[in-house]
Amino acid sequence: MVLNTPPTATVIAGSVLQINHLTQQLKNATILSDVSLALAPDEIVALIGPSGCGKTTLLRTCGGLITPTQGTVKRSCNEVGFVFQEPALLAWKRVAGNAQLLADSDDASVERLLKMSGLTEHKNKWPHELSGGMKMRLSLIRTLAARPQLVLLDEPFGALDQITRHRLHDEFVILREEYRFAALMVTHAIDEAVYLADRVLVMSGAPGQLVGEFTVPFARTRNSTLRYSSEFAALCGKIASCLGAHA
Amino acid sequence: MKKFLPPLIVFVVIIAGWYALAYSLDNNFASGDGSALIIPPLHQLFVGLNDATIDQIILATYISSSTALVGFLLAIVVGIALGILMMSSRALESALWPWLIALQVTPIIVLTPIIVRVVGPSFSARVFVSVLIAFFPIASNTLFGLRSVSGALHDVFTLGEFSRWQRLIGLEIPGASPSIFAGLRVSAGLSVIGAIVGDFFFTRGTPGLGRLVTYYFQDTRSGPMFVTALVAALLGLGFFLAVELLRRICVSPWHQP
Repeated sequence: MVLNTPPTATVIAGSVLQINHLTQQLKNATILSDVSLALAPDEIVALIGPSGCGKTTLLRTCGGLITPTQGTVKRSCNEVGFVFQEPALLAWKRVAGNAQLLADSDDASVERLLKMSGLTEHKNKWPHELSGGMKMRLSLIRTLAARPQLVLLDEPFGALDQITRHRLHDEFVILREEYRFAALMVTHAIDEAVYLADRVLVMSGAPGQLVGEFTVPFARTRNSTLRYSSEFAALCGKIASCLGAHA
Repeated sequence: MKKFLPPLIVFVVIIAGWYALAYSLDNNFASGDGSALIIPPLHQLFVGLNDATIDQIILATYISSSTALVGFLLAIVVGIALGILMMSSRALESALWPWLIALQVTPIIVLTPIIVRVVGPSFSARVFVSVLIAFFPIASNTLFGLRSVSGALHDVFTLGEFSRWQRLIGLEIPGASPSIFAGLRVSAGLSVIGAIVGDFFFTRGTPGLGRLVTYYFQDTRSGPMFVTALVAALLGLGFFLAVELLRRICVSPWHQP
C-alpha cells in the first residue's frame, strides 16, 4: 500500500527512535519545524527533501550531536551508528584499524564485515589507497562493527558514481539482512530512497517539515531488476511530485 | 639524477663564486705566506687546522649540539603543550597568543644578555635561549593542526563516547601531526641558531661554536673560522634531516598533502 499523507505525531510501539514535535533553531534561524516521526526496530526510513531543508540537522539531532531546541528525541537503544556524507576515516590507521575503531574488541565480527564488503585483501592499506566506494564501505562497516540498533546515514552514497552506488545499495541490503538494524537515511536520490527503504518521508523547504509519507510496497530482499519495473518508476514519480509541490 | 642535478649546479656556482671572491679581494693574501686573511679558497680551508684547533672545534660542536638537542626537545614539549592548552580554551588562546607573538618578534640577540644576567652563564641559560627561539613554530603549528582536524572525525569520536584523553591521543594529535612536523622542521634549525647565538654572550667556560667563531675572527684565523661556520651549518642541517627522516617514517606513509 502506498500512502501519501503529511505525517502527524507518529507513535510506533517498541520504536528505536521517537521524535515528538521537534523544532530546531541554529544561529537564530529555524531549521526544523514541528517534526514528529518514529522508527520501528529493523525499519529503514529514507528522508528526502530539497537542499538546505534541515535533513542533516534532523539526523544530527537524532544522533545526539545537537540538542533539540523544542520537542523530544528519544532513542530506546544503546548503540547508535552514524555514517557521514564523507567517509570520515582516520588517515593514520590502516583499513583494519579503521574497521576496528568502534568495535567491542570482537575481531571475528570485524573480519566478517571486512569479508562481506570485499575489503579483507585491502585490510593493510591506508585509506588514501582506497577508491571512493571502498572508503564508503569501510565507513559503513566501521559503524556496523559496533552492532548498532539504530544507524543514521547522511547521504552515504551521494559522492559515488552510479555503478558503485548501485553495487553499494545491494551490499547495504545484504548487511541490513544480516545485522538487523533500524536506519534513518538522508538522501537526495529518489530511486535510492525507494530501493533501500521501507518508508520514504518527504520534507519541505526551510524550515523543514515532514510533508509526505510513502510506504514502499516491495519485498525487503530486493535486486536490481526492481529499479526497471513500472511500479518502482510509478512510486518514484509520486515522490518526485510531492517533493516538487513542497520544495 | 635529474633530482640531484639542480642542487649540484648551484653547488658548483657557489664554489666558483667562492674562488672568484677569494682571489678578487685586494688584501686577502697580504700575509706573505700564501695563507688567506679574509676568505680562504676551498683548497686552503684546512691549512690552519692543527690538532689543538680540531680538538677545540670538536669540543665546541659537542657543547653547541648538546645545547641545541636539549633545547629542541624542551621546545617540542613546551610548544606542543602550549598548542594543546590554547586549543582547549579560546580564552587561554586570547590571553597567551599576543605575548607569544611579542616574544617571537623580539630579536633573540636582545633577550640573550638578559637571560644570561638572570640565569647566569650556565648550560641552562644556553638551553633557555635555544628553547625561546625554537618553541613558537611548534606551538603555532600544533594549534593550527589541532584546529584543522575534521568535524566529522570529531563526531565519530563523540558518537563512540571516547574520553577526552582518547580523543587527544587517538584523533587530535595524529590528525595534527603533519602540521606539527612542519613546525618541527623550522624549529630544528632555530634550536641550533639559538644555541650558537646564545653562545656569543658566554665569556666563561668552554666555548661553543658561536664563541669559537668570534675567537678565530679576532685572531684573523680565517681557515678555522670558516671550518667552524661550516660545522655549525652542518649541525643545523643534521637536525633538519633527523626531523625530516622522522617525518618520513611517522607521517609520509599515510599523509597525502
